Amino acid sequence: METSELLQLVIAGLKNGSIYALLALGFTIVYAATNVINFAQGEFYMLGGMFAVFAFTRFGLPLVLAVPVAVLVVAGIGVLFERLAIRPRKDAEPMALIIITVGGSLVFASLARHAFGSDALPLPEFTPGPSIPFAGAAIERQALWIWGIVLVTVAGLTFLYGKTRLGRAMRACMQNREAARLMGIDTARVVMISFGLAAALGALAGVAVTPLTSTRFDIGAGIAVKGFAAAILGGLGSPLAAVAGGLLLGLIEQAVIPFSSALKDVVALAVLLAVLFLRPQGLFRRSRREKV
Amino acid sequence: MSMLSIKGITKRFGGVTAVDDVSFEVFEGTIHAVIGPNGAGKSTAFNVMTGFDKPDAGTVTFEGETITGLKPHRIVKRGVVRTFQNTMLFDEMTALENVLVGMHVRTRVGFLGAALVLPGVRAEERLAREEAHRMLRVVGLDEEAGATAGDMPHGQRRLLEIARALGAGPKLMLLDEPAAGLNNAETAQLAETLRRIRDTGVTIVVVEHDMGLVMDVSDEIVVLNEGRKIAEGPPLLIQKDPAVIEAYLGEEALDA
Amino acid sequence: MSAPGKRNILAAVAIAICAVAIVALPFVVADRYILRILTVVGINVIMVAGLSLLFGYAGQISLGQAAFYGLGAYTSGYLAKAGVPWLVALVGGVGVAALGGLLIALPSLRLKGHYLAMATLGFGEIMLFFFTETESITGGSNGLRGIPPASIGPLEFATPVAKYFLVWAVVAIVLLLAANVVRHRPGRALRAIHGSEMGAQACGIDTVRVKIQVFVISAGLGGLAGVLYGHYVGFVSPSTFTLHYSLILVTMVALGGMGSLGGAVAGTVLLTLLPFIDAIIPGLPRTTVAVLQDWTNDIYGLVLILVMLFMPRGLAGWARSLVARLAERGSARVPGGERA
Repeated sequence: METSELLQLVIAGLKNGSIYALLALGFTIVYAATNVINFAQGEFYMLGGMFAVFAFTRFGLPLVLAVPVAVLVVAGIGVLFERLAIRPRKDAEPMALIIITVGGSLVFASLARHAFGSDALPLPEFTPGPSIPFAGAAIERQALWIWGIVLVTVAGLTFLYGKTRLGRAMRACMQNREAARLMGIDTARVVMISFGLAAALGALAGVAVTPLTSTRFDIGAGIAVKGFAAAILGGLGSPLAAVAGGLLLGLIEQAVIPFSSALKDVVALAVLLAVLFLRPQGLFRRSRREKV
Repeated sequence: MSMLSIKGITKRFGGVTAVDDVSFEVFEGTIHAVIGPNGAGKSTAFNVMTGFDKPDAGTVTFEGETITGLKPHRIVKRGVVRTFQNTMLFDEMTALENVLVGMHVRTRVGFLGAALVLPGVRAEERLAREEAHRMLRVVGLDEEAGATAGDMPHGQRRLLEIARALGAGPKLMLLDEPAAGLNNAETAQLAETLRRIRDTGVTIVVVEHDMGLVMDVSDEIVVLNEGRKIAEGPPLLIQKDPAVIEAYLGEEALDA
Repeated sequence: MSAPGKRNILAAVAIAICAVAIVALPFVVADRYILRILTVVGINVIMVAGLSLLFGYAGQISLGQAAFYGLGAYTSGYLAKAGVPWLVALVGGVGVAALGGLLIALPSLRLKGHYLAMATLGFGEIMLFFFTETESITGGSNGLRGIPPASIGPLEFATPVAKYFLVWAVVAIVLLLAANVVRHRPGRALRAIHGSEMGAQACGIDTVRVKIQVFVISAGLGGLAGVLYGHYVGFVSPSTFTLHYSLILVTMVALGGMGSLGGAVAGTVLLTLLPFIDAIIPGLPRTTVAVLQDWTNDIYGLVLILVMLFMPRGLAGWARSLVARLAERGSARVPGGERA
């Protein structure tokens, strides 16, 4: 294989990987606050694209407005979902909460079909134009946007966790929710904000990728598995590890393409199972023992 | 010869040594207490003895055979059963069913046998139920056989867990703080029950905080502090042991 | 009479009524469409009986049951097309599915809760990928066509009525065996593992072994349902064995109530019939039916959420408290007895 082809694969891997990273961040943030894996995370991604398309085509909003509106609306949906469906049973066994988010995933996908129909819906690129040549390969303009979004997100989260009171509260909850509550932290608020933030990140990923892939009501579950695989690779702990997990998954997917392009879709699943079975604590974390 | 022999058990969690080179012997037909201030390593020692934790060093010998590192269910099969500091009952099942589960190692019916109701299945079930009722009577819960475990008051749950442990037909019972959360009347009833169980030939090791109960029922006491054994002997001697008094006075002063 | 006693009698009466209705139905109802729907209900009941043991009783979630359904359907369909007698194909289908269950159970045993959920989901999706990609065996996305109807020797189950009776005969056997299991020692072990895994170990239960057993049984029952499905429809394609189907099965168990076989069956019947409501309740306004069918998935999802929020013990728990209230009115509580 020529280096330019290799480079092209790496670019594609980092592009898809960035999307997985955003989803993995959503899983990680909600898990940190609640110990719940939100099976509806992929639906936030789908809804993000949907609302952006809707705002852009039906309301004629310019993209620069349609995108933030979509992200905010989905964040609101995330908060609402937490208030209505998670909080009333927040102390239930994890199984009950898993099932609730699975139900949420069914409902969101189905409502999206009613609202937006069952066709694939396109969105123009944020900055249309030809791909940018780079060392013999080409970079889509939208890919630059996606990378930019990931960088800004990581910077924003680093600031949030490191410099703000809310971030410190979220970190405290991550360490030990009960202790955080005893220290006077409003854990209910942290959980709500975590759901909103995770939904917003999912929506952001969905909006950013829709110009390349278009969106449809039933894409949520598929992308959720990939995002979860990325999150598990990262170990469901630190946000940076989640991003690393996402990028790594994106690259692994591209690595099999020269052998069989059909395999690309199953790679994330294989990675997911391999990590779950062999290293459930993730690649970057030392094994943690549960106390009897 | 001793029934249970603990030799040089050491267990570390990260940098903390929870149990440090502890040895003691338990003789058949006795009630043996393991006491010590909070964090002395009592529960960890229990977990090691029952297969819920693997020791970093040392051996546990039961009836002359090493049981160190065996899976918990294998240790139960040999006749060593335990209860938990925070009762681990099956809350959705009735008291009777909890005891029936406790009899798992004494019964044999498997998936195929049960599905086809092979010969002997009905008889075993009937006998098991009679036996389970008997266990409930031993702890005074026969009236509650049909009650759902999750709905029972705390004191009854403690007793039910003991009945469930009895279900396995144990030679040795390890009880982890059975009096925790009980009032005085319930504790007195518990002491009575423990003596009754010992008198049926079951050896008992009990980790306990309630000094009244310990001094009342035990034949022999082991005192742990900060993971180490600091004293061993019959209750009257332990009460006068300066090392014990110091370890405990420290704690009482903090508690007060 | 005590609540459990009354409950047992009520349950016996309900089962008898259902049995008579199921046997009599083909003689009373001329509409073949209804028979077809009820055959599908029966297949789903077998599927859910397996999931109920695994998830409802042992508390081990599986979001990949559709994979076992598919393994059963493809294996027996492929074998039967190759001329293998149906009964042998059936054993093959069940066996391959059970083997698949063993394959996923072994590495999954350490996993709990959401990890197990994701592992089984991943397994289901991988199997779906193989159903689609191994074209030489499965026919790829076009599916496997021309699967012969079930037959035992000269006896061929080719008509809708014969297929209906075959499926429901299997349903009866499966439910009887499953009910026997849950009433005895192994069933109690399953519920104990769900209640407290450490508690179960302290009772001498080899939790690893029991979990493997129930995984394999539930996969085998999934395979059995798949075998019946393949020979019933005569055609299988990947679009049947999706995550969506796995999720609906979980919904059925949850609606029926964890730890209740009868509840799971009731949940299955209700949710399977929902999209076919027009055939069951004739004279429903067209628009109502259309709306219900259009909103089926929303209803499934909402049912999952609402049951978990407001009825965590499902239909079975609701029925239990109803009977208990009736019994209380009847007489004082009698000691002894158990919960079915």
